[in-house]
Parts: sequence; structure tokens; C-alpha cells
Amino acid sequence: MNLVRSLKAALQDLYDGAALMPLWWRVAVEQTVTRYRRTLLGPFWLASTTLATAFSLSVVFGSIFGGNFRDSMPFIMIGVVAWSMTGGLLPDSANTFVSGAGIMQVQKLPVSFHAYLQISRALINFAHQVVGLWLVLLVMGLAVVPHWHLLLTLPIVLMAGFFLAIPLGMLSLRFRDINYMVSFVAQAMFMLTPVFWRRTQMPGHLHWIVDLNPFAHLLEIIRQPMQGHPAPMGDLIASLAFMVSVALLAVGSLTFFRRRVVFWL
Amino acid sequence: MTTSIDLKDVTLDYNLYSVRAQSLRNAVLNMAVGGRLMRSGKDVTVIRALSNISLNLREGDRLALVGHNGSGKTSLLKVLAGIYEPTAGVVDVRGRISSMISMSIGLDAEASGLQNIRNLAMMQMMPDREIKRRLPDIVEFSELGAFVHMPFKTYSAGMMARLTFSVATQMDADILIMDEWISAGDAEFQKKAAARLTSMVDKAKIVVIATHDLKLAATVSNRVMTMEAGVPTFLGTTAEWVERSNPA
Repeated sequence: MNLVRSLKAALQDLYDGAALMPLWWRVAVEQTVTRYRRTLLGPFWLASTTLATAFSLSVVFGSIFGGNFRDSMPFIMIGVVAWSMTGGLLPDSANTFVSGAGIMQVQKLPVSFHAYLQISRALINFAHQVVGLWLVLLVMGLAVVPHWHLLLTLPIVLMAGFFLAIPLGMLSLRFRDINYMVSFVAQAMFMLTPVFWRRTQMPGHLHWIVDLNPFAHLLEIIRQPMQGHPAPMGDLIASLAFMVSVALLAVGSLTFFRRRVVFWL
Repeated sequence: MTTSIDLKDVTLDYNLYSVRAQSLRNAVLNMAVGGRLMRSGKDVTVIRALSNISLNLREGDRLALVGHNGSGKTSLLKVLAGIYEPTAGVVDVRGRISSMISMSIGLDAEASGLQNIRNLAMMQMMPDREIKRRLPDIVEFSELGAFVHMPFKTYSAGMMARLTFSVATQMDADILIMDEWISAGDAEFQKKAAARLTSMVDKAKIVVIATHDLKLAATVSNRVMTMEAGVPTFLGTTAEWVERSNPA
């Protein structure tokens, strides 16, 4: 009986959070502006960090792996940008409630509000990166028109990131070690995910590293459409499955810990 | 809709994880925190921040919560504001709440006072147009003058209090919840603040203020609740309370 009530409250929390969209979107924009106040390029600074990484990686690994430069360059650059919207979200997701601590202590808001806020900030950053990326690709004559599948796959990735932020954010709020752990896990995942290498370059007995890695699938359903190809069906299904699993985790953690989160701050 | 606050047997417990519950330490903490520490399990200490609080406030009530640091005033404010959900009991709050529980949390130290006013108003869901319309009033009431263009980090505690108070009282809320920082302003501003609070009641609103400034409590409130270690020790009108505390 009590559990049913808690479950209802959890779902209500997700719904109330969504209804506050005008607020979290405004706050996300405001926080992005604030973060880059008094800088010349603003959020494009973050984009240039990613693009610099992408560019260096594509020069180094493009030549190590050989093959066509016109092929490997966009593959790696788009891969790094797509990573920042998938696995690259891990450290920020872990900070969802830590960074929301100020607001949480002074204002009544649904717990999910902070996850919506987190994913909006991520989307704003991603948009800047995409603009920067396209400019670079245009200059190099490598730009392609994205496949319409992106309109379908980006929301899946956003939803997965949103749901993931809730249990991960709670966990790292309750146990402060998790935060540090997440940053090195994210770093390791970056290497273990085919961002700047291809699954086919791996020996067959190591393919499981890619196949069992949810971020590899999420990455692919963003990268392929951005390169002008349809999203691969296998990756799409795996991504959907991942999204559903983290959604269940999110609902579960909201059911059991929603009321306690504020006391963990 | 009428504005009201009804609490029935509200109890708030929360877990303190970092404290290893040991008897001596427990006893020391008990004195320091003011909350009642209870042992449950091994490493988790449950703090009873509020215990069996019942309270009914109607339109026109200005309640002052009086008590020492750690007596549960802020916890009670947070329950009223909906930030904390009580462990037991019923909380029924009707009306739009504007809560100013912290003076600086949620404010941006780098941004100007003006920008912070906008941010505070934004968090209260005020549309941009409305913010623009009210900005002059808020700035004028705060008496910050040209300082509104300075970064918030250059403000003194009194100036922060002025800014936050000015925003909080311009929010069209039915219920205003404020923590004790109101006393950070200077005497003149406090007088003005007290007048503003009184006028808010004329618009049929409820005000709840936590303070340890007894004089302030006597000026702005018409009801007083004193608290000790999360337990209400007195609840009545300000007149009764003044009479009780000055038996002569």
C-alpha cells in the first residue's frame, strides 16, 4: 500500500518536473550564459575543447590506422562530439544533485527537475559543439547533410541521459566517492568505446567490449545519422533497451529515495 | 481560495550518516545540535528535528518562530515550504508560497545584484515581462542604488538581506516564509521591512518568520511559537508571549 503510494509519488514527480519545462529550460540557458560570462567565445569554448580533442585524435589515429583521410576524419570528429552527448555525460550526470544543492535547499521542486535541468544544459552544449563541428567540416569540405533519423535518435539519447541522471545523481550524492569513481570510469569508457576506432579493427574475441557497452550503441545512433547514414537497427534496439532499463532504475530510485534526497545534500 | 497553513502532529526525522553513533559523542552532539539524537542501527544516527508540531494559521497571521540555533526553526520553515516532507503527520498548506530561507544560497556571486534579482524572480516562475515591470520597485525598496550593478560578491550581509527581502516581498505570494537573516539589515531597513510585512497582512496573507531577535519578533508578529530541540514550548499571541517573558 505504502509502496504503491511511493510509486505514484515517483511518477508524479517525473510528471511535475516535465511540466516545469519553461523553468528548467530558462535556468539551463541562464546557467550556460553565467558560466561563460566575460568570455569572448562563450559556450564555444567548451565546443573548442571537444573539437581540439577530436581534431588531434583524428590526425593521430587516422594516420596510425591508415586508410582514407576523408573517411577517418569525419568519423573520428563526429564520434568525439557524439561521445560528449552520450558517455561524456557521465560526470555531469553524477553531479546532477550536487550542483542543484543550492536550489534544492531553498525551493520546493520535483526531484526530477534537476535531471531535466542537467540534460538541458547538456543539449545546449551539444548544440554549440555541433555548430562548431559543422563549421570545421565545411571548411575542410567534409560536411554532409545529416540523416533524418537523428530526429528520432537524439530524443532517445536525451531520454536515456535524463533517466540515468536520477539514479546516478542520487548514488553519488549519498556516497561521495562515486563522483570520483565516475570520472575515471568515464575516461576508461571513452577508450573502450569505438569513438576513434572501429569495432571491425578489434580482434573478434574482443567484440564483446563493444557489444555489451551501452554507450557504444548510443554513440552509434547519433554518429551514423550525423554522417548521413540511417541509424543501424541493432544499435537502435540496444539503445532503446538501455533507455528502458535506466527509466526503470530512475522510477525505482525515485520510489524509494525521493523524500530522502534533500537530506543527503 | 483562502490561504491557510495547518500542521497536525508533524514529526521530522532524518538520518545523519557521517556520525558514528557512540554514546559519548552522541551526548556531546546532543548538546551541540540541539536536536534529539537517537540510536538506530550501527552507523546511522536519526535526528529528530521536529517533534509533534501542530499549528493552524489563517489569513492575517504573522507567526514568529523563536528559538536558539538548532532548535528546529529552519527545519519547520522547510517543512512549510515543502522542501522537507515530514516523517509523520499531516501538512496542509494552501496558497502560493514565496520562501526566502537562505540569504545567499542559489545566488550567483559573480553576477550583478540586478541579474540576481532577475534570477530569483525567474525561480518563482515570474515571466520576463513581469520581472521588467517590477524591477524598479524592487531596486527602490532595497535602497541599493548604484550597487545593483555591482557583482553580488561585493555585497555586505546587510545588502544581501535587503536584496533578498525586496524580491521575496514582491512576489505576489499568499504565504511568505523567511529565515532569521532579516535581522541582518540595519535598524532603518528593519523598520521599513517590518512595515512592509505588516502591509502584506493587509492583503490577507500569512507570514512566517524564524528569528532569535526577540525585539523583531515582538514588532512584526501577532503570533509567536517558541521551540526547543524540535519541540514547541509555547504557542500563542504575541501579547501573551511578551507578558509571559516579562512577568512584572
